[in-house]
Amino acid sequence: MRFIPQNGPNGTHSCRLSVPYAAAAAAVVAVLVGPTISAEPVRVDPETGAATYETQAQGVSLSLTQLLPDQVRAFYVARGFDLADADVFAEACVYMTVLRNDTAPGTLDFRLSDWEVQHSEEVRSLPPLDDWLAQWAARGVPDSARLAFRWAQFPSEQSYAPGEWNQGMMATGLPPGSRFDLIARWRIADQTYEGRLDDVRCTD
Amino acid sequence: MCVAPIDRIRAGLSVLPALLLCIGTLGAAGTGGATDLPPLSHRLTVIEAPAPAPPLRLEDIDGVEHDLADLKGRLVLVNFWATWCPPCRREMPSMERLYQQFKERGLTILAVDVGEDMDTVFAFTGQLDPAPTFPLLLDTDSRAAQDWSVKGLPTSFVVDPEGRVIIRAVGGTEFDDAAAVEQLLPFLPKP
Repeated sequence: MRFIPQNGPNGTHSCRLSVPYAAAAAAVVAVLVGPTISAEPVRVDPETGAATYETQAQGVSLSLTQLLPDQVRAFYVARGFDLADADVFAEACVYMTVLRNDTAPGTLDFRLSDWEVQHSEEVRSLPPLDDWLAQWAARGVPDSARLAFRWAQFPSEQSYAPGEWNQGMMATGLPPGSRFDLIARWRIADQTYEGRLDDVRCTD
Repeated sequence: MCVAPIDRIRAGLSVLPALLLCIGTLGAAGTGGATDLPPLSHRLTVIEAPAPAPPLRLEDIDGVEHDLADLKGRLVLVNFWATWCPPCRREMPSMERLYQQFKERGLTILAVDVGEDMDTVFAFTGQLDPAPTFPLLLDTDSRAAQDWSVKGLPTSFVVDPEGRVIIRAVGGTEFDDAAAVEQLLPFLPKP
């Protein structure tokens, strides 16, 4: 896991640096980033094998715990999904995601549309909530089940004052068995931060 | 362990016992132990520029209508939650303890279930210790949650005796923790 301040209050601050300053800044970022290493889960459920990947830095903590396909299917079938519909989501590598502002020096703002997964040299956005909801509508999933789905997801955007947090489901859209890096981004006091969870494994 | 339900679904068997276990696992985020649960917050967020609370008029699980507008003069904790939401379940006993401690001093709690029906909520309340004695309202179409700009569950708001939203709590919160109580006390109606 790596936390990287991205830019200043103007959002494009780094683009305005002169060449010598840019070189120096690049060196600093490189030091902050360090070599890419495979992350080991901080916990593994002894019964299900579900792994938790977690990091804490600069007053913010982020964790992913895989929800196994059978867990996801059972949850949504119990809330009105047909098995075939629940299968679609269950096979999309779903994680219980927790993001919390423990002691950051200000309110944390994020949009999931700014987050990415890196998989097999390809960087892609997370599947948007609206796309899932449109798919459920097209497949005839009942309104009440779609409502449950919407509220069970990790929020698409949110602001956390110090002490605030959420947990919810987040699908990567990758096939089971994938390994990926999660790149999360948020802003605190006009500074953008990037956090990475490297080499997260999606058990099938 | 949460791998049995789907087999039971396919076999046409009851999934409730297995689902309860499954939801517990989801609640523990698959970590297998209470010590691994994300900690509840012990502080509330004071809103710097309080604004009038959005309307809130809903029926509870007994069919009784509650209107926030009728509660002027009381301090009201409005909590948006759902039975399947792990931190919602974990914070609810602390809300009941807070309610027992301060209801005579003017505290009202309205717990608004988002998107579920009466049977689901009623069945759930028996699992809580202490069970909630404050009203459990039903926001079956989640319209109220949207009116209050709720983005994730649980989210709570404190409405002062003048009807303004003065405090917010996003995420599971231990409402009867001393630090949280200290933040609420100044806003209780004067005796």
